[in-house]
Amino acid sequence: MRNSFFIILIIALLICSLGVLSIYSSTYQKEGKLWQTIFQRQILWIILGLLLFSIVSNMSYRRFWDWSYFLYCASLFCLFLVFILGTTRLGAQRWLRTGWFNFQPSELAKITMIIFLARYFSRKAVDDYNLLSSKFGIFRGLALPFFFTALPAALIIEQPDLGSGIIIFILFIAMLYLTNVKLRYIIILLLVISLPLPFMWHFLRDYQRDRLLVFLNPNIDPLGAGYTVIQSKIAIGSGWLWGKGWLSGTQSQLHFLPESHTDFIFATFSEEWGFLGSFVLLFLYYLLIRQGFLIAQRTHDAFGRLLAYGITLMLAIQITVNVAMNLGLAPVVGIPLPLMSYGGSSIFVTFVALGILVNIDKMRAVF
Amino acid sequence: MMRAKILIWAVTAALVFLVFGLLNLEVIQGRRYQELGNKNCVRLVSQNGSRGRILDYAGNVIVDNELSYDLMILSQDAIQQEKIILNASRILGKSVKDLKSAYKSNYISSSVPVTLARNIGAKDAISLAELKVDLPAIIVQPNPLRHYPYGKLAAHLLGYVSEIDRWRLTKLEDYGYKTKDIVGFGGVEEKYDYYLRQEEGGLSFEVDHRGRFIRTLGFQPPLNGKDIQLSLGIKIQKIAEDALSERRGAVVIMDPCTGEIFAMASSPGFNPAVFTEKDNARISEIFDNSNSSLVNRAISFTYPAGSVFKVVVAAAALENKKINQNTSFLCQGSALIGKGEFKCWSTHGVQNLLAALTHSCNVFFYKTGLLTGAQAIHDYALRFGFSKKSSFELPYESPGFIPSPIWRKINKFKSWFDGDTANLSIGQGDVLVTPLQVTRMMAVFANGGYLVTPYIVKSIGGRDISLYQEKSEKLNLKKETIDFIKEGLRSVVSGSTGTGNVLAGLSVSVAGKTGTAQAPPGQPHAWFSGFFPYKNPKFVICVFLEHGGPGYISCVTAKQIIEEMINQGLV
Repeated sequence: MRNSFFIILIIALLICSLGVLSIYSSTYQKEGKLWQTIFQRQILWIILGLLLFSIVSNMSYRRFWDWSYFLYCASLFCLFLVFILGTTRLGAQRWLRTGWFNFQPSELAKITMIIFLARYFSRKAVDDYNLLSSKFGIFRGLALPFFFTALPAALIIEQPDLGSGIIIFILFIAMLYLTNVKLRYIIILLLVISLPLPFMWHFLRDYQRDRLLVFLNPNIDPLGAGYTVIQSKIAIGSGWLWGKGWLSGTQSQLHFLPESHTDFIFATFSEEWGFLGSFVLLFLYYLLIRQGFLIAQRTHDAFGRLLAYGITLMLAIQITVNVAMNLGLAPVVGIPLPLMSYGGSSIFVTFVALGILVNIDKMRAVF
Repeated sequence: MMRAKILIWAVTAALVFLVFGLLNLEVIQGRRYQELGNKNCVRLVSQNGSRGRILDYAGNVIVDNELSYDLMILSQDAIQQEKIILNASRILGKSVKDLKSAYKSNYISSSVPVTLARNIGAKDAISLAELKVDLPAIIVQPNPLRHYPYGKLAAHLLGYVSEIDRWRLTKLEDYGYKTKDIVGFGGVEEKYDYYLRQEEGGLSFEVDHRGRFIRTLGFQPPLNGKDIQLSLGIKIQKIAEDALSERRGAVVIMDPCTGEIFAMASSPGFNPAVFTEKDNARISEIFDNSNSSLVNRAISFTYPAGSVFKVVVAAAALENKKINQNTSFLCQGSALIGKGEFKCWSTHGVQNLLAALTHSCNVFFYKTGLLTGAQAIHDYALRFGFSKKSSFELPYESPGFIPSPIWRKINKFKSWFDGDTANLSIGQGDVLVTPLQVTRMMAVFANGGYLVTPYIVKSIGGRDISLYQEKSEKLNLKKETIDFIKEGLRSVVSGSTGTGNVLAGLSVSVAGKTGTAQAPPGQPHAWFSGFFPYKNPKFVICVFLEHGGPGYISCVTAKQIIEEMINQGLV
């Protein structure tokens, strides 16, 4: 089925090119050589990402079944390495320097967690449609996977990268839900997580508390923690129906909007392309997510299906949280917008994930 | 796979939710955010044009503008701000602390430039502007201010300028007036504010998040206000004001044929520059003192007319054929009217109209008035322009008042007695007039029977409007009446026993009427109103001194004025 390969490729490329345009627009007025090359670097990441996409889409996803525990251990190892060697940027230790490339292991952890969980709940035998989880008790169905998820998530939250950590948890719960684990286990899990939440407040970093408070009311600190949200809302809101036109956005180009090429690229895009442009962008994302879900529904292999759902959900959650945060509808957390935001790690991981999706669809014909 | 379907629906719902969020932010609230966005990055620096000047008839500038400079800074770059304040304190000789507190108190929002210092001299302004090369956040803003080369001269006529008050703002908002606008108060400045007013221009430019200049978006050049030329002559005005000196009173000098005002002095005066300098102590002094020095006494205050009103009574009696030129009455120093004894100021013996005008005999006019009737006198007074506004163009004119039997009946529920008629006949009782109304009445005799409308503005912005301004109304008086009264007015001055005889020595022949209006408590008001030269009148004059004593005092003042005008070759 070459069909889904091209559909996904075309949608992804469209989104990526809109991303490059926005990155160019948000950086071309900034001084410094580094800024001028950012969009070129993004193009490079995209090309490398496409390479990964075509490799992964031609490589049987069943191999991930075998590799899953190894991948899990590897990403845990990377997360540990971040603690020891990590580069601090913007107050957080999230990056591993590997020569010419700053690698963000938390991005890797997301996809490996999905592979790991899909592996955990399914059997190797392709012809067995049933998931293991229906036979699992509370320990194997809930406690053990929770522990395996909590380990990398805790490391990520400690970096600190609360957003990615929470996304891994949400993914975990969503996949648990999909694996036919008894509903009451999930409710127990939610209770166990939510009960200590009020106490967690004390474990949050100051800036995280500020962001939560500011999310409730951005105007309590308009020049501090609330600044980004206010500027992002101004940027999006001032775009109006048609937008100000490419390279004509004032908020993003005159540096009012921080992180205008990474986490807040949606605001940059929306200011210049208006409501219609943003709607088209969201529609492209919707088509991508729809493709993912269609592939998942078509797949009968339990591992493949779970993997496809997990990958699609990962994209959907990231897109939703990032756009909501741009619109001031969610607290500010460091979640990139897949395929749009500048950043190699995110682009690579997203293309690998899309590659796996395509491959699942392709292999379906084989079985 | 129920669970999968639920999840897919949840994801779709989340995306739809985002689209609605986007719609709300970008389309429904879009305008508001657009404004906020502009506030973020668009700065406006306004530039004021200069208010129109006011000139006298010969083109001498009575009110013009002087450039002063304000120092302003864009408020976003803290480092520049420090440097600017340091430099400014060095150049202006003000302490850093003062400048910083000025900055704090003038700070409105990050998008509006902050004024650090006002009214900087040209030299300092240039040295500050030179700093702009290194410190682009600095703005030196030229600011035209009202300047009065003649100080107090004609202050009541001109008015003053100040920040708009709430009352005017609500009235004028629809005409583009804004808070903090400088508008005219009183006189020509108020009446012709719309023409004098400059149009604000300005520069809008884009800045980045540190307030650094990016590019100019637009420039609207400011427009200057229109110049206004008055019929006023500064020389005559100066003579009139000097003659009044510190005494309370008013002088009006007018062209009897056209109604052009040559001079209109009111004393005590004030210096309008006080209001532009924002010298609060002196402003409150002007408002607080009991002299009412802001009031133009020539048009805004009303006074009993006294004997100058006898001219009206004489005209009414002659026109109604109640008396003729030869009618005589005997003056024995007083007359018994009703139950009261009404006094004359002297014992004149047998008087005809000519002699009665010359001597200002009260008894003659009591009797004439009783013959004519109060209602007829009232009607004639109204024809001569009393008891209503003269439609003179400056604001705050008072209509004055002339009583009548009907008015008394309707408003006071009292009867009218002969004694009231007697009082009316000599301009006492409830009679209230303004000096301008008296001038206008006298002009009727000078020009041969026309009631003119006084005006002061000859042209606006170089366009002559005197033709629109000249309005006169023929009163349909008989020529004999006018000529005979004129003769009487002349003999007031020329007759050796005339009350205005002091004016006889002048090289120009004057005619007029004196008045001593009782105004207890205190001295009577002194009136003189007349015209000159007698044969071919070019000027009507009215001198009024509030509680100034007998009419003689006003004659002396009028003599000073006319003498000085002759000396300066103005007649």
